[in-house]
Amino acid sequence: MATQVETKPTAPPAPGPHKERRKKRAWILPTYTGVIIAYLFIPILVMIMFGFNEPAGRYNFQWEGFTTKWYNPDRLLEFEDLNEAVKNSLLIGVISTFVSTVFGSLIALALTRHRFRGRAGLNLGLFLPMASPEVVLGVALLALFVSLNVNTGFVTIVISHVMFCISYVVVTVKARTSGFDRSLEDAAKDLGADPWTTFWTVTFPLIFPGILAASLLAFALSVDDYVITSFNAGGTVTIPLWVYGASRIGVPPQVNVMGTLLFGIGVIYVLVSIFRGRRQGAVPSPPVKAG
Amino acid sequence: MARRSRRWSPVPYLLTLPGALWLTVFFIVPMFTMFSVSFQEGNFEEGFVFTGYWQNYTNVLTRYDTQLFRSLAYGLIVTLVTLCLSYPMAYWIARRGGKNKNLFLLLILLPFFTPFIIRTLAWKQLLGDNSIILGTLKGWNLLPESYQVLATSTAVLSGLIYNFLPFMALPLYVALERMDPSLLDAATDLYSNRRQAFLRVTLPLSLPGVFAGSLLTFIPAVGDFINADLLGGVNTVMIGNVIQREFVTNLDYPEGAALSFLLMGMIVIGVFLYARVLGTEELTG
Amino acid sequence: MSAFLAACGVGGSNETGDQNQDDGLTTTKENGELNFANWPLYIDRAKGRRPTLDDFTKASGIQVNYKENIQDNETFFGTIQEPLANDQAIEWDIVVLTDWMIARMIRLGYLEELDHSLLPNFEAHAGQIYKDPVYDPSNAHSVPWQSGITGIGYDPKLTGGEITSFNQLFDPSLEGKVGMFKEMRDTFTLTLLSLDIDPQEASIADIEAATEKLIEQREQGIVRQYYGNEYADALLRGDLAATMAWSGDVFQLQFDNPDLRFVVPDEGGVLWVDNMAIPQNAANPIDAHTFMDFVYDPEIAAQITGWVNYICPVPEAQDLLLKQGEKDSYYKTVAESPLVFPTPEMEANLHGYKDLTADEEEQWQDLFQSVIQG
Repeated sequence: MATQVETKPTAPPAPGPHKERRKKRAWILPTYTGVIIAYLFIPILVMIMFGFNEPAGRYNFQWEGFTTKWYNPDRLLEFEDLNEAVKNSLLIGVISTFVSTVFGSLIALALTRHRFRGRAGLNLGLFLPMASPEVVLGVALLALFVSLNVNTGFVTIVISHVMFCISYVVVTVKARTSGFDRSLEDAAKDLGADPWTTFWTVTFPLIFPGILAASLLAFALSVDDYVITSFNAGGTVTIPLWVYGASRIGVPPQVNVMGTLLFGIGVIYVLVSIFRGRRQGAVPSPPVKAG
Repeated sequence: MARRSRRWSPVPYLLTLPGALWLTVFFIVPMFTMFSVSFQEGNFEEGFVFTGYWQNYTNVLTRYDTQLFRSLAYGLIVTLVTLCLSYPMAYWIARRGGKNKNLFLLLILLPFFTPFIIRTLAWKQLLGDNSIILGTLKGWNLLPESYQVLATSTAVLSGLIYNFLPFMALPLYVALERMDPSLLDAATDLYSNRRQAFLRVTLPLSLPGVFAGSLLTFIPAVGDFINADLLGGVNTVMIGNVIQREFVTNLDYPEGAALSFLLMGMIVIGVFLYARVLGTEELTG
Repeated sequence: MSAFLAACGVGGSNETGDQNQDDGLTTTKENGELNFANWPLYIDRAKGRRPTLDDFTKASGIQVNYKENIQDNETFFGTIQEPLANDQAIEWDIVVLTDWMIARMIRLGYLEELDHSLLPNFEAHAGQIYKDPVYDPSNAHSVPWQSGITGIGYDPKLTGGEITSFNQLFDPSLEGKVGMFKEMRDTFTLTLLSLDIDPQEASIADIEAATEKLIEQREQGIVRQYYGNEYADALLRGDLAATMAWSGDVFQLQFDNPDLRFVVPDEGGVLWVDNMAIPQNAANPIDAHTFMDFVYDPEIAAQITGWVNYICPVPEAQDLLLKQGEKDSYYKTVAESPLVFPTPEMEANLHGYKDLTADEEEQWQDLFQSVIQG
């Protein structure tokens, strides 16, 4: 994600009669964006805070006092099933995100750039998984695995996650590829580029923002899925499964700390990227083509 | 766009093959058996038998019409609100986000990498009857003592809006980011009015994003059960809760399946109507 | 679902579980391993280890593969039903499930019969109310792991007085401040008791009466929500004044808010029991017996309850915990709490769930649905 992909260098706004007014109001949208992102972060702040709580009983609902003891590796890694769940969730998330993003992006390309028989059917087949209640997907898939004599576990979780992520990827990438301007590709071909080169130097950079957004969405869907996973997990435990089960006895602060650490990694990544961008200078850099 | 006349080409089939195959084996086949289940009768101990019992459909429709329509209404509200909330943000990130666009995307999604229960519990801690927010307002007599947010439809809707915001924002961003800035400047010059420029150029060009975002929000929101389960009260039960209960607690697979297909049918019809309203057939694919 | 599979022509020979022949245990000796499925955080822990499992391995040489992969009874049942219905083995030698689910699985023929000659500790140390329970006569298929009471939890500051009767949860003065469970058995059983009906003898007419009472309660706006586990945080926050509650939860909540109280309603409460059982065709049934017997050693029982704080099926554990309490007051709190070791008066007023046939279950569920899914 470090590679900056832009269809065009962001040109400074062209001077014109509206420039003045635009300047006066320029603070509104960035402030608004900041407010929305802050709103999305509110529950995360509470989660982080309760990772520093010293609960009196087994419930971590009420603020009782500050401690950093849950960050001590001995305490943090106390629950081996939770550790395993974190590992499983990340691994399942990465694998199913990768597979579903590749499959979904290819379908999105085919749907928006080619006319072919079966498009309508394919479109319907893509809406339906999103429209199906999760429990139906979970139960139906489990029945399939049992009838095929497949033991449920890690692999079947990945299979189910890829299945329900594909549609989301297709719809998101399609928002980018529909109305796709082929003149650039044609130009590349006219210049003698073979289809492969054309794809990686022209097409891919053009649709990359769509693919990136889709993969983030797929990852979020995967790591947070409870219902479908619970039916197809066998003996494999993921974060939502463990936390849900633990909520009967009381979710320990270690879960907050794990969540905080994962979140922290993301934030650090964002900060480092912004900082690096600053150092390279404020002038918009020329577009970097991936691949 | 793809309307040029061409010879038959294997390319689109090759592109769709892996994904379509996956969906066929792991979605269509199991759902097909599930469809036949929706015409069965019986109970889980003695077994279900296929008898073509279509009354499952009419039974559940008459019994759960309230929850069905409530869910559709919730879905519509959630879609509209998330659209209004995320459009300005998506617009700003796409047009003015500069080099950090992708990072903003990541920021929008980061909160959703944490377990749902933890996020929801946090909201409940903030919105409880005597919480830091409501309790303070009540203390200043700005709210009546009996006022509550949790266990109301407001709470369910807020939960849905919070959780589906990124599903709307991302496709909007993806569509908006594609637009050529020079086009926008030209439009501003042409219409000499920013609102006109927005309505005539930006908005139409972003419609694929609006459409995609609405799908990603409306469809799963209508079938959602967990927000109503954890945040709702006695009159906020959604159809997803009923289906969940039919399958998991009652083990009444035929009725659960019938209800699911009823819901899916309504959603698909709704989506195609929506595509019609938005105009271009190109939007649907 | 097996039935569903069979109906679809995709495998599954048995339409009903009761055709499963009990062909005895798969083996007659220990294999040195044990696969144990339990709920998260439902066994003692210390320093990142599970002392009871370590002690067990040391004492018996049996390696335990312990997984915390049961999130709730129904979902777990949904995932193990097909293989069991098809007379196949599942991965687990011991599963921990609540009594009504145990009863259902016995009826379906999904559980192995226990060999009580291998369970001398159970015979010697299990509490009287845990022997020969309604859901599993003479403990033929299961022995208790931990148990709990369903009663009423409340905050006297918010209710303005003591709660002693279940009918007080139907008092309009508590409008919007009462929590009820979306667990059908708990809610119906307590309501039946409040109508002076013995839950074991409840007829459909009785359930209809209970349904009516519950719907009226909902329509008067008394019920805030029908809860699962999440009633606990609502009670602590003060969103609920009084609520149906599980004893173990209130015991934990009292650490945060000592004002909170738990009471077995005068009309009676529910004793529910989570049991260890051996699924049909388990690979290591003798090792499973060895473990079941091991946890009925009072020392071990005290060790587990000292951490889990649910009701211990071994009364002698109380004295052992009291002795430990001389050094660490936490154990004294545990040992002296009636929520962990109920008093004889409490025990006398506890009832079990009615064992429902499939038809009854469907009727009850349909009626209950009309209560909670308004």
